[in-house]
Amino acid sequence: MRPRLGDLQSLLYRLITATNGVEDGLVTERKLPPDGICALVRGNAHLSAVERVEIYANMYFYRLLDAIREDFPATFGVLGDANFHNLITAYLIEYPPSDPSIGEASRHLGEFARNSPSLKKWPFVADLIRLERAMVEVFLAPDAQPLGVEEMRAIPTAQWCSLRIAAHPALQVLDCEWRVEEIVRAIAHEQPFSAPARDARTILVWRRSYSVSFRALDDLEQSALRMVGRGYPFGAVCEATAAERGDSATPAAMSRMLMRWLSDGVLVRMQS
Amino acid sequence: MNRSEFPFLGFGVGLRRPHYAHVLNEHPAVDWFEVVSENFMVAGGLPLRVLQRVRERYPIVLHGVSMSLGSTDPLNRQYLVQLRDLARRFEPAWVSDHLCWTGVGGHNLHDLLPLPYTEEAVSWVARRIEQVQETLERPILIENVSSYMNFAHSTMSEWDFLSAVAEEADCGILLDINNIYVSAFNHGFEPKRYLESVPISRVVQYHLAGHSDHGSYLLDTHDHPVCAEVWSLYETAVRRFGKVSVLLEWDDNIPEFATLEAAADEARTRYKSAGREGPNEDARCDRA
Repeated sequence: MRPRLGDLQSLLYRLITATNGVEDGLVTERKLPPDGICALVRGNAHLSAVERVEIYANMYFYRLLDAIREDFPATFGVLGDANFHNLITAYLIEYPPSDPSIGEASRHLGEFARNSPSLKKWPFVADLIRLERAMVEVFLAPDAQPLGVEEMRAIPTAQWCSLRIAAHPALQVLDCEWRVEEIVRAIAHEQPFSAPARDARTILVWRRSYSVSFRALDDLEQSALRMVGRGYPFGAVCEATAAERGDSATPAAMSRMLMRWLSDGVLVRMQS
Repeated sequence: MNRSEFPFLGFGVGLRRPHYAHVLNEHPAVDWFEVVSENFMVAGGLPLRVLQRVRERYPIVLHGVSMSLGSTDPLNRQYLVQLRDLARRFEPAWVSDHLCWTGVGGHNLHDLLPLPYTEEAVSWVARRIEQVQETLERPILIENVSSYMNFAHSTMSEWDFLSAVAEEADCGILLDINNIYVSAFNHGFEPKRYLESVPISRVVQYHLAGHSDHGSYLLDTHDHPVCAEVWSLYETAVRRFGKVSVLLEWDDNIPEFATLEAAADEARTRYKSAGREGPNEDARCDRA
């Protein structure tokens, strides 16, 4: 029998990714020749045809598991080996990879975790996954020259009001329900950790000198970053933030916030 | 494609993340680096900065794992354009990928699966390689993969299949010596026969790597030193193919850079020694 190449590849894909293994996949497979898989794949005394396909099935799963584990050390640390394994097993069934980059295989993991009944015991894990995924994306996001302290000082203060600014393209802002940044920090420093408190917060993830950082934002910074995102010039950001935050938006507080942004490389200057 | 169009790069190693700092700070005395293309097909950040700095000092080669040359899915044009742009930016000595398929139906298995060795598959893959070469604006090298299964309807050997595809597509060959050894064990063929059958004029690069022994089969894991049998096979290849660039791969349980450097030096020493024994005068080489 000479199967069409496309049919052969589709069959092997189904067997390699079969939820309960190759043997089980063969039981439910309707497009096999009368002699089964042996009519397609050569076996020998050392390895049967099924065992040969199983090698690929194992490699498929474990290669992805290893790659995802590398990008989610805190999630792995919280869940442990078996639970993480089960999470990724279930995830890959629902979201099989399609991108040429293996790093993109975890793109939907946060979304999956939010609705995963197996994670009820760890209600904060969906937030944790979103934070670790954001760190991966920020690490590989586009480059841009950040607006720094020296550059800002070189701009005449009379021009600050009309200065057009934007958030650095390698920056993400996450709304989380839990203090998950504390777990990421603890695990990165090999410190003990406990389940985080439920405490709604907005986390800034950014990149400076090719290394990724994160921190929870206070209300003032949240408002101001939202204004930056709307494309307001610097003066309008300050005015709108002051109008929204009232007393907390003192000139001193705004100045501290600006210095921190400039030092962290959170902003870029837009060309007029 | 003419082998003389490809420079002889000498003895290189695969550039991997744990060694970035060492390579950038210490400028180790390896001749060249091979990088996994997909790791650098990103918008920005550290990987591209590292590659830029490495490229300032060393020749590089882009080696892909996701071109899926043998798939029946359409070629991924977006992927190819990204790869072309990466090649334009970093000017690698060449671009390579595997003679295999990695997915179908829009899904990616992130593994290198073998094709049936048939005339139809030769034509199918050769046409696709031609399209790839047109998009990338350069000839590519195709690498033989380690395999754990072959197909009952194959009508030729793997080495005849590789040779036929390379001839029909007019591309080069990246001969992975470890993969030949692994596949020979897994399928029960004589590895030297493989080497004797591949056209000399198409072989531009070797891969050397380690594998793991699972008793009834060998797995291409790139997590061990090169074994004695693969070194021996490499020496046979040097005697037959002459001046071919050599690359040491190590992807898991990655050791200190010095271990890779020592393995590349061993490849150089064996190359010189085997080159003196063989018929190919130009196999003798000094540091590139």
